[in-house]
Amino acid sequence: MRSTFNWGHGLRLLAIVSLLAAAAFPIYWMLVTSLTPSADLFADTPHMLPDFSRIEVFEEVFREIPVATWLANSAIVATGTMVLSIALAILPAYTLSRFRFRGKGALGFTLFVTQMLPEAMLVVPLYAIFGQLALLDTLTGLILANTAFTVPVITWILKGAIDGVPIDVEEAARIDGCSRIDIVLSVVIPLVAPTLAAAGVIAFFHGWNEYVFAQTLVSSQSLQTASVGLAGFVGELSTPVHSVMAVGLIYTLPAVALYLVAQRYVVAGMTAGSVKG
Amino acid sequence: MTESAPRNGRLEGSRWTPYIYIAPISLYLLLFQGYPLIQELMLSFTSTSLLSPQDSEYVGIRNYQDLIDASDFHATIVVTVVYTIACVVLSIGLGLAAALLLDRPFLGRGVARAAVTIPWAAPSVAVALIFTWMFNAQYGIFNHALRALGFASGHENWLDHPALALPAILLTTVWQIFPFASVVLLAALQGVSSELREAAVIDGADRLSVFKAVVWPTIQPSVALLSLFITIWSLRRFDLIWLMTQGGPIGATNTLVIELYRQGFVYRELGFAAAVGMIGLTIALVVTLVYFHISARAERAGGRR
Amino acid sequence: MAAITLKNVTKTWGHVSAVSDINLDVPDGEFLVLLGPSGCGKSTLLRMLAGLETVSNGEIHLDDRRVDGLPPSARDMAFVFQSYALYPHMTVRRNITFPLIMRRHRWWFHIPIVGHLAKRAIERSPEVKDLVDRTAKVLALTEMLDRHPRTLSGGQRQRVALGRAMVRQPEVFLMDEPLSNLDAKLRTSMRAEITKLHREVGGTFVYVTHDQVEAMTMGTMIALMRKGVVQQFGRPRDIYTNPANTYVARFIGTPPMNLIKARIEEGQLKVGEAAFALPAHLSGISDEGRAEVLLGLRPESLTISPVGGAGTLAGEVGLVEHIGAESLVSVKLAHAETAHEEEEQEQSGVMATTPGYSELKVGDRIAVGVNLSDAVFFSTRTGERLTAKVPQLETVR
Repeated sequence: MRSTFNWGHGLRLLAIVSLLAAAAFPIYWMLVTSLTPSADLFADTPHMLPDFSRIEVFEEVFREIPVATWLANSAIVATGTMVLSIALAILPAYTLSRFRFRGKGALGFTLFVTQMLPEAMLVVPLYAIFGQLALLDTLTGLILANTAFTVPVITWILKGAIDGVPIDVEEAARIDGCSRIDIVLSVVIPLVAPTLAAAGVIAFFHGWNEYVFAQTLVSSQSLQTASVGLAGFVGELSTPVHSVMAVGLIYTLPAVALYLVAQRYVVAGMTAGSVKG
Repeated sequence: MTESAPRNGRLEGSRWTPYIYIAPISLYLLLFQGYPLIQELMLSFTSTSLLSPQDSEYVGIRNYQDLIDASDFHATIVVTVVYTIACVVLSIGLGLAAALLLDRPFLGRGVARAAVTIPWAAPSVAVALIFTWMFNAQYGIFNHALRALGFASGHENWLDHPALALPAILLTTVWQIFPFASVVLLAALQGVSSELREAAVIDGADRLSVFKAVVWPTIQPSVALLSLFITIWSLRRFDLIWLMTQGGPIGATNTLVIELYRQGFVYRELGFAAAVGMIGLTIALVVTLVYFHISARAERAGGRR
Repeated sequence: MAAITLKNVTKTWGHVSAVSDINLDVPDGEFLVLLGPSGCGKSTLLRMLAGLETVSNGEIHLDDRRVDGLPPSARDMAFVFQSYALYPHMTVRRNITFPLIMRRHRWWFHIPIVGHLAKRAIERSPEVKDLVDRTAKVLALTEMLDRHPRTLSGGQRQRVALGRAMVRQPEVFLMDEPLSNLDAKLRTSMRAEITKLHREVGGTFVYVTHDQVEAMTMGTMIALMRKGVVQQFGRPRDIYTNPANTYVARFIGTPPMNLIKARIEEGQLKVGEAAFALPAHLSGISDEGRAEVLLGLRPESLTISPVGGAGTLAGEVGLVEHIGAESLVSVKLAHAETAHEEEEQEQSGVMATTPGYSELKVGDRIAVGVNLSDAVFFSTRTGERLTAKVPQLETVR
């Protein structure tokens, strides 16, 4: 018997490997760059492998650049956005799933329209509003502004999950003596917990990644988020490239790690929310 | 349960219950989205400048007229449309390819599925940072690669080249968003009936015919919805483009949102900027309405699924 | 004590009425079965009793208490759902304890850790734990108390749902087709268990089903519904022997009652060419002289013999089904017509049961003997019953 190489199989494997390489390469390159000495970065042939003996770069940047402050600010904004978004989204999501009422379509449409508004467009009027509410140059202001953009998505995602909770279970709870709020808190929320986690991750991402508001609504150095701090380095060469990339990686990794941990739920939540529109 | 009675709202309560439940989110969105949007709409009919906001006056539709007359703005529209369509086609194309590759079982499929979605998780600012470095004229990895492949001219300044900047931005964008398309399409592929697929194979269909007859009709609604989402996101994408090119060189990557930001924060013409924003929003709304119109008609025609 | 009284209970959705003008008096301790086909309004009626559905019109009383305006939890009724509706995120123990926890629920139970501890304290308090343990023992769930519903079989889930209803020690148990998700064998044993439960815990049961066998075997009373209207309300035996109309006659019994077109002429009952003496209990309507009637005969009132004679109907064997202990024989009558709801049945077919394994073959010419002692007459026009075999012993309506 002559063993034949299965070309179809081989090609498919090759395609999968190249796909994964393409998806991962920029992140990998960030790592390689951050671990390459400045002089070698500007050499004729690039270093393709990370030099882990230079791992102390990641310590250095914390001393030279206010990375810790940036990350802390980003974490506060992201956490605040997550908590506020979920708190605001649960009841409307439940309402959209379980009630029929006049104005339901309008609410759904409004939630969708918010997805079309660029932050850059609303930033001017928001600046004026925040000025009056004394929210300018505060992290609270950033949380409020970000939540306005995350809460509609989260509402849709949660609505999709609540649609899947059998109404019989809710009625059983009602017979057992639950009020409507009891039902939402002690039956519906535990049952959609995975989606809730996904929604939380999505909101957290948004707060962590957001740039326009953080750039315009906050001016104090001490309140800068990582996105703004890092954006200051883009295309600029006075700070050593390897330090910049190290900061970039430090900023990227928590997001990617969080995503990978919650990946299953995020994917489920994202597709449920988006497929149902 | 034997009755097909309306199941919604069966847990009766006060007529006002739903309104009480949606009141917080409604007020919130009204304050932080609705009110600013109306402000912005009103602003677009004025000549407000960031330098002297008090001196604004009502100018009617002059801002819009000026925009329509300006050839720069025509270029902006063209760039926006090209960028958006390319994003939709490339992201969905690549996303679909990835989804089909990752749909069939193989060793390590779970890991591969997770890994391929990493770009979606990376923050835009970080993406802009690394891609700017990768596109660097002298030291960027792309040019290194081109030189290694024997292209003598591997010294292009990608982001500063009128013909290359938009493709470079597109490459970056597609890298970031195709995972979303692939995740959604992977989920949609789970809905493909394996019996139907087998029936088609038994009927003698080749792979492409099976795809066209069985797979595509199932995932088509998801593709349509993805197109809508990617369109809307592309129309409002700011961070990536602004940080990599600021809309340049000579307007090669100047989309509507970049133009809006430039008018407002570089030229300080808030009224003008608002008008740009309104035009962008109108385009997004029109696309959305067309989408809903088409999908409603498809559903009336018996549904494609 | 919990007698249920329904007065003119009506439910309308827009212009469609799902339940119209229902009046029932169910004494304490009865096992009432609401029986009927899909969409007859039986579930809606049950849900109105539970308070899951508002009453459009009419009143519901529990003893002297009017309850139709009360929320479900204030009605002292437990509800067992067709889908069991167990809380998937709770253990069996917590599922069963849940109604007891809700009884002592305070708003601050929603505070994460504090609430968790408070609920656990209730779950572990001696009187609650005892009750739950005893209930679990009755239902043979003791081994499964710490498991989650998804790890249980259908029958076990069913028993958890029953347990959750039992611990409330309610006056009334409401059950919405609780056995329809079980396989046939399990259904039979659960039927017996629920009957036993009724005997042991007492209380008034209201049980919805579309399965007449469940109704006949479990109910002490049956209300047969059709299109939102009660067709007949009474004891199972009475409904079987004295169906109020042809609909009831054909709904109850497998195979259903045969309805044969007949005439009453000069004190005699004529079916096709055959004539029979009118038995005493049917003679009441002979005064009308020549009258067209529908003769209702249960399959066991028909006997099959190879040779004809006086008092028999000639026919031909259409189909023989062997069940084991008896055989069902479908017979095409030569000279008589039958009335059926469903048109697909032959216009002249009747069903007879014969004991043992019948050797009859399709096409055999036979004679059908008629025992009129259990027969009933229905009006050809309205389908209502014209006579009663025995004076109704108990008038429950």
